[in-house]
Amino acid sequence: MTLTDASASSATPTTRKLTTAKAMVEAIAQEMERDDDVFVLGEDVGAYGGIFSSTTGLLDRFGPKRVIDTPISETAFIGAAVGAAVEGLRPIVELMFVDFFGVCMDQIYNHMAKIHFESGGNVKVPLVLTTAVGGGYSDGAQHSQCLWGTFAHLPGMKVVVPSNPADAKGLMTAAVRDDNPVVYLFHKGVMGLPWMAKNRRSVGPVPEGEHVVPIGKANVVRPGSDVTVVTLSLSVHHALDVAEELAPQGVDCEVVDLRSLVPLDTDTILESVGRTGRLLVVDEDYLSFGLSGEIIARVAERDPGLLRAPAARVAVPDVPIPYARPLEYAVLPTPDRIRRAVLDLVGA
Amino acid sequence: MEPDVRLGLYRMMVLIRTYEETILREYHADKKPVFDIGAGLIPGEMHLSAGQEPVAAGVCAHLTADDAVTATHRPHHFAIAHGVDLDRMTAEIFGRVDGLGRGRGGHMHLFDPATHFSCSGIIAEGYPPAVGQALAFQRRGTDRVAVAVTGEGAANQGAFHEALNLAALWKLPVVFVVEDNDWGISVPRSASTCVTSNAERAAGYGIPGERVEDNSVEAVHEVAAAAVARARAGEGPSLIEVHTLRLWGHFEGDAQGYRSDLEGVPGRDPLPTYEKRLRADGVLDDTAANSIAAQAHDRVQAAVEFAKRSPEPDPATALDHVFAQA
Amino acid sequence: MTDVAFPRVSENDPDAEGVLATWFAGDGDRVGEGDLIAEVAVDKVDVEVPAPAAGVLRLLVQEGEVVKQGEPIARIE
Repeated sequence: MTLTDASASSATPTTRKLTTAKAMVEAIAQEMERDDDVFVLGEDVGAYGGIFSSTTGLLDRFGPKRVIDTPISETAFIGAAVGAAVEGLRPIVELMFVDFFGVCMDQIYNHMAKIHFESGGNVKVPLVLTTAVGGGYSDGAQHSQCLWGTFAHLPGMKVVVPSNPADAKGLMTAAVRDDNPVVYLFHKGVMGLPWMAKNRRSVGPVPEGEHVVPIGKANVVRPGSDVTVVTLSLSVHHALDVAEELAPQGVDCEVVDLRSLVPLDTDTILESVGRTGRLLVVDEDYLSFGLSGEIIARVAERDPGLLRAPAARVAVPDVPIPYARPLEYAVLPTPDRIRRAVLDLVGA
Repeated sequence: MEPDVRLGLYRMMVLIRTYEETILREYHADKKPVFDIGAGLIPGEMHLSAGQEPVAAGVCAHLTADDAVTATHRPHHFAIAHGVDLDRMTAEIFGRVDGLGRGRGGHMHLFDPATHFSCSGIIAEGYPPAVGQALAFQRRGTDRVAVAVTGEGAANQGAFHEALNLAALWKLPVVFVVEDNDWGISVPRSASTCVTSNAERAAGYGIPGERVEDNSVEAVHEVAAAAVARARAGEGPSLIEVHTLRLWGHFEGDAQGYRSDLEGVPGRDPLPTYEKRLRADGVLDDTAANSIAAQAHDRVQAAVEFAKRSPEPDPATALDHVFAQA
Repeated sequence: MTDVAFPRVSENDPDAEGVLATWFAGDGDRVGEGDLIAEVAVDKVDVEVPAPAAGVLRLLVQEGEVVKQGEPIARIE
C-alpha cells in the first residue's frame, strides 16, 4: 500500500509524517482525483514514478492516459503541455533536471510565460512545470544547479520552491489550481529519498485532505531578534540547524523561508529586516546577477538605513559546480558557511 | 471540383491579397523618406504572405472554428482563412486597445481563442503547442484537428522533428503544413536542407507526406482534404509540403539583393494564374471578379478604419495581463 | 503485540540485506492500521512499510541500519 491510495484510514494521527516527495505526490493525486483535466507527463514519470520519486504510484492509480511517459523531447512535450493548457487541460509536466532547460527554454519563457500577456489576457496557460534542482551528491556541473533565479528573472511565470513536506503539498495544490504557469522547483536533497543523504527535516507532518499554501507568501519558520536569514529550499534546513546551534550561544536567528520567488513576499522580508537590522541571504543558486542580489536590492531600495551592518550573502560562487566532494562542498552554502556569515554579521 | 468551392477558394485568396497589399501600403506610408523600422502607425517587423495564399485557402477550407491553427511569424493568410476576426486582428497589428491582444502581441503574436488560432515568432516552435492542442482534442474524444504551420527552414529545427515524432507516436490529430517558399530569409533551401522535399522526411516518422509542387490552391485543397480526414478519423498526423511563393521580401524593408529568382517571380504569382484558369473554365467572369474584388476591398477598408479608430493603449496599463487574476 | 518485519523485497535472494531508510513515526507514537511507518530499500528498490495493526510503535532499528529481509524492525503494542 502506498500513500497515494485514498487515505481512508480510520485512526489517522494528526501528526502523520511524510517525506517531501510523498507529500508532493499526495497533492498531485488529490488534484487528479478532484479534476479530470489534471494529468501528468514527462520522462520516467510513469512506471518509474519519477527519478526523484515525484510521481510514485500515480500510474497505478490513474492509468497511462493520465500519467504519460514521454520521449526525450523536452521541446515537444513541454510545448505540447503548453498547447494542452491553452485548450483548457491542466498539465503537470516534469523537466527532469532544471539543468536541462537549455534544450527547451523557448517553449518555457517565450511561449508558456508569454502567451497570456501577448493575447491581452485572453488565453490562459494553466500549467505546472515541475523540475528537480540542487547539488550535494556529486552529480557534477550539469546536474546540480538550482537556477531558480533565471526563471524568476523572466516575466510571466510564477516560481515556487518548497523546502519541506507540508509546503510541498500545499504549494503543489496551489500551483495546480492557479490559472497561470507555475514553475515548481524541488530540491533533490529535501525529497527524503532513501538513496540520498537526507536532512531530518525532509520528513515532516503533512495535513491530510485539502491543503493549500498561498503562492507569494514567505514563511517565518523561526522567529528571532538578531539576524534575518532569508533563504529557500534545502538551505532552510541548514539555516535552522545553524540557528538551533547558535541560540544557546546568544545569537537569535530569524529564518525566513521564501517559498515563492514570483511573486516575491517583499513585505515579510522588509518587516523582518526592519526589526533585526541584519540581513543574510542564503541561496544555493549562483551568486551574481540573481536572487540574493535581488533580495538585498529590494531592502536597499526601501531604505538602506534599515541595515545596521552591510547585507551579506552566502551563495554558490560563479563557478560550475565541481564534481569532487571537497570541491563541491567548498562552493555549496553549507552550514559552516552560514554559521560564519551569521557570526560575522553579529560581530562575534 | 464544384464551381462554388473553386469560387470560394478564389474569394479567400483575393481577400488575403487585398489585405496584404493594404497592410503593405499602411506599413510603408509613414516610414519615409528613409525606412525606419520603428516608425509609423505599424511599427516593427512585418512579414507578409502575398504569394502564399493557396496554402492557407486550400487547407483552411476543411476546418471549422473548433479546429486549431498555429501559424508563424508570417501569419496573416492563415488567420484570415481560418476566420479570425479581421477587425480585431487589424487593430492588433496597429497596436491598438481593441486588438486581439490589446496591443500587447502585435503582428507576430495573434491569438484568437474563438477560433483556436495562435502564432509564434520563433521558428518551428509553433509545432509543439499545436501537438498539445491535438492532444487535448484527442483526450476529449472529439474529431477536431490541429493544423501546425512552418516554413521550409523550420524543418531543420529540433522542435520540428520532436513534434513530428511525438504526434506520430501518440497518433494525434495534427496536420503539419510546411510552406516551402524557397527562402529562409536569404538562404535558399538548397543551402539549408539535406533533402529535396520535406515530404520525404515524413517517412522518417512513419506518417504520410505529400508535396504540392505548383502552388495550386486546388491541389492543396485536395491533399489537405485527405490529411484532415485522416486526422479526424483518429488515424494520426500527416505532413503536407507546398512549394509556394514568397512574392515580396522576407520582411518589409528586405531589399532582396540576394534573391536570384526575382525575375521569374511575377510570372509565378498564383492569384492571376488561378483567376485566368477560372475564367477559362467559365467559372469566373468580369462581373463576379469585380464583385469579389470590391467586397474584399470594402471588408479590408472597414477593418483598417476600425483599427485606426481604436485608441492606443495607456502606458499605465503596460504591466497588466502578465498573470491571470484568480 | 505485533512484529513488523523488514519486507521481503528480493524474491531471488531471501537472505538479501537492505537499509531501513526512513522512519515516519517515532518510538512511542500511536499508529493506526495501514499508516505509513517506514520506508526501506533493497538494491535501489524502495518499499513502504505500513503498520500491520493499530497500537503503540516501538522501534528496533535505527535509520540507516542494514537489516536482513524478514527480520523484525519494530513492534506494535
